[in-house]
Amino acid sequence: MLEARLEQSNILKKVVDAIKDLVQDCNFDCNDSGIALQAMDNSHVALVSMMLKADAFSPYRCDRNIALGVNLVSLTKVLRAAQNDDVLTLKAEDAPDSLNICLESPSADRLSEYDLKLMDIDQEHLGIPETEYASTIDMPSAEFKRICTDLMAMSESVTIEASKDGIKFAANGDIGNGSVTLRSRTDVEKESSNVTIELTEPVTLTFSLKYLVNFCKAQPLSDRVRICLSSEVPLLVEYLLSNDQNTGHLRFYLAPKIGDEE
Amino acid sequence: MARTTRSKAASGSAKTPGKASAATTPASSNASRYALSSNAVNPPKIFILPKQATSDARVVSLSNPRYNKPTRYLVCPETGLYEFTRITAPKSTPRSWLIDSSVGLQKEGKPDPSRKPDGDDTEFGAYVAKGAELYLATSIDPVFLLLPALTSDETVKGEGGKKMFVESDDYFDQLSKASRHFSEILRWGTMRQLLEARMAAVCDTVDAGGELMYRFSQEKLLAEMLSKAKRMSKESLPPSMEERFVVKALEAPVLGLKREETTTSTSSASTHKQETTESQSSELTAETTTNKVSDASTAAKSVADEEPTAASSGLKASMQASPEVTRLQRLRVAFSFLCSSYILPSQVSQLKKQLLEQKELVDFGPLDDYLAQVAKLRQEATLSRSMGDYSRKHILDEEEMMDRAEKKRKMEEDEKRKKAGESRGVKNLKKVNTTGMKKMSDFFKKT
Repeated sequence: MLEARLEQSNILKKVVDAIKDLVQDCNFDCNDSGIALQAMDNSHVALVSMMLKADAFSPYRCDRNIALGVNLVSLTKVLRAAQNDDVLTLKAEDAPDSLNICLESPSADRLSEYDLKLMDIDQEHLGIPETEYASTIDMPSAEFKRICTDLMAMSESVTIEASKDGIKFAANGDIGNGSVTLRSRTDVEKESSNVTIELTEPVTLTFSLKYLVNFCKAQPLSDRVRICLSSEVPLLVEYLLSNDQNTGHLRFYLAPKIGDEE
Repeated sequence: MARTTRSKAASGSAKTPGKASAATTPASSNASRYALSSNAVNPPKIFILPKQATSDARVVSLSNPRYNKPTRYLVCPETGLYEFTRITAPKSTPRSWLIDSSVGLQKEGKPDPSRKPDGDDTEFGAYVAKGAELYLATSIDPVFLLLPALTSDETVKGEGGKKMFVESDDYFDQLSKASRHFSEILRWGTMRQLLEARMAAVCDTVDAGGELMYRFSQEKLLAEMLSKAKRMSKESLPPSMEERFVVKALEAPVLGLKREETTTSTSSASTHKQETTESQSSELTAETTTNKVSDASTAAKSVADEEPTAASSGLKASMQASPEVTRLQRLRVAFSFLCSSYILPSQVSQLKKQLLEQKELVDFGPLDDYLAQVAKLRQEATLSRSMGDYSRKHILDEEEMMDRAEKKRKMEEDEKRKKAGESRGVKNLKKVNTTGMKKMSDFFKKT
């Protein structure tokens, strides 16, 4: 039996909005530590991993591990009914056919209830090890989104070059080329615009911009984004689910383009 | 000729003949007054007993080797053991026996005094038996009755689970435990020698100080069974078995056979012909299908003299079992019949496995090849039939059609739902060029 009350229903809404354009159906794995999700896109070159910790809910109850197989488009339709400040409650049996979603407005004079049919999704689960990345960049999420969409106009792929001077996003396309370079910057008054670059060795990798732009749909979740790079391993783009550390995280992994230098 | 007589069981019922005869014998008109009141508890039964069985033969209850249940056997001290086979009329056509014992005895010519111990037979006269059951005693190899003891763990296993050589007495003791009558028949005439001789046929023996010790041998049992099966299948199996398990099993489908003559040919008959069949009344189509069926049953015979035409049409319908294949099939049927009649199921599986492994005893290879071919042909025939013959499909495959339609609809629905559940973003991502990008599973291990 799962019963999870989420005061900020918009967290879930944003999570679903962020990944619904990457994956179609996925399992929400509920256990006593919270609700987790891992899914890959159709071509299996990108992976999304989400953890919504039990602490984010009040109360949270999950007696047994439950996998909620959900079609994200359908879930979006239900969540569209949620107002920004609604309190959302998820309920499911131990072997559920459907997921019950309750939306309460804070003034408690409106209660909407939805049952979402679930499906059996046979998904392989990958184990993702903790990795020491050669370069870790913390930057404003809006900035990252802007760079990606801007460079998208030039090319399908972007080369990210991290060195001690800064981080350079470069795109080389039919109409010409373009690049954006960010230097690390510390603004005491406005911490949210800081750019920090941690570097153990310089890295240069090329990625599909379409996918990066897709990841940027998670931007509303958090002001900050962390980008981790190491040669020959997937890029990690991480958003926190809210500005509070204990809520959880949303991570995207993307395989680098190798041997195709365009 | 076999004798028709009452069994011992029947003589138990002879205590009630006073009433019974009152009901059946008097011809007077008011006799019907007492009629029907007397249903004997243990009515007489009709047996056909083997001629060579001596008058000392008795019906005893021994443990059935296949089902491990007490079963009646006829045991003759001189000539061995006989099993009973019950033959009954089918339930749909009930029959009864009218038994006139006096006639039977007269025909026999010399009424056996031992058969009428207290002389109530004369009084007994005629009898109506409700169930028309006939018990046929046929000889059975005593080795089957010994098998449960020979293979059971109790006597056989020594320390460490190894099979030990054991005296015949130990085996007999165990059998006596299962049925009390067994120890009794051991004392009769040559029965003991007979049983020991048969035991030796399926056992390894060792002479220990003038005493013969026995240890069960799977190989010997297999050889014994195989020789029995060979004897059984030498000529031809009984007609009902032959028809069902040999002829039917080996029959190739009438794929395209006589294609030129029959309208309901299976596969590639011209569409014109199909149309006519379809437009005909259902009666006619039914008729043609029955035609076809009879075709099928006679196919095996007709194939032989039609070989040239069938061959010219380039189809393998002319496939007919070679005498070798027929012999093997008969042998296999006989073997499994014997196994399923007399041997414990657990033992049977071992025997069958061994039979398959020991190719030098008998090689079923040609038969298996042939059967595989027939199975393939049958499959093809059903396939082409479902594609080509509409009239037939109408009658036979309606259910199948429904199933298929249902499946198709489901598939379409699924597809639709999948499409609907796909966001625009997911659709767009499908178009992204992912060359040079490795799969996630190349980086991360599956859990």
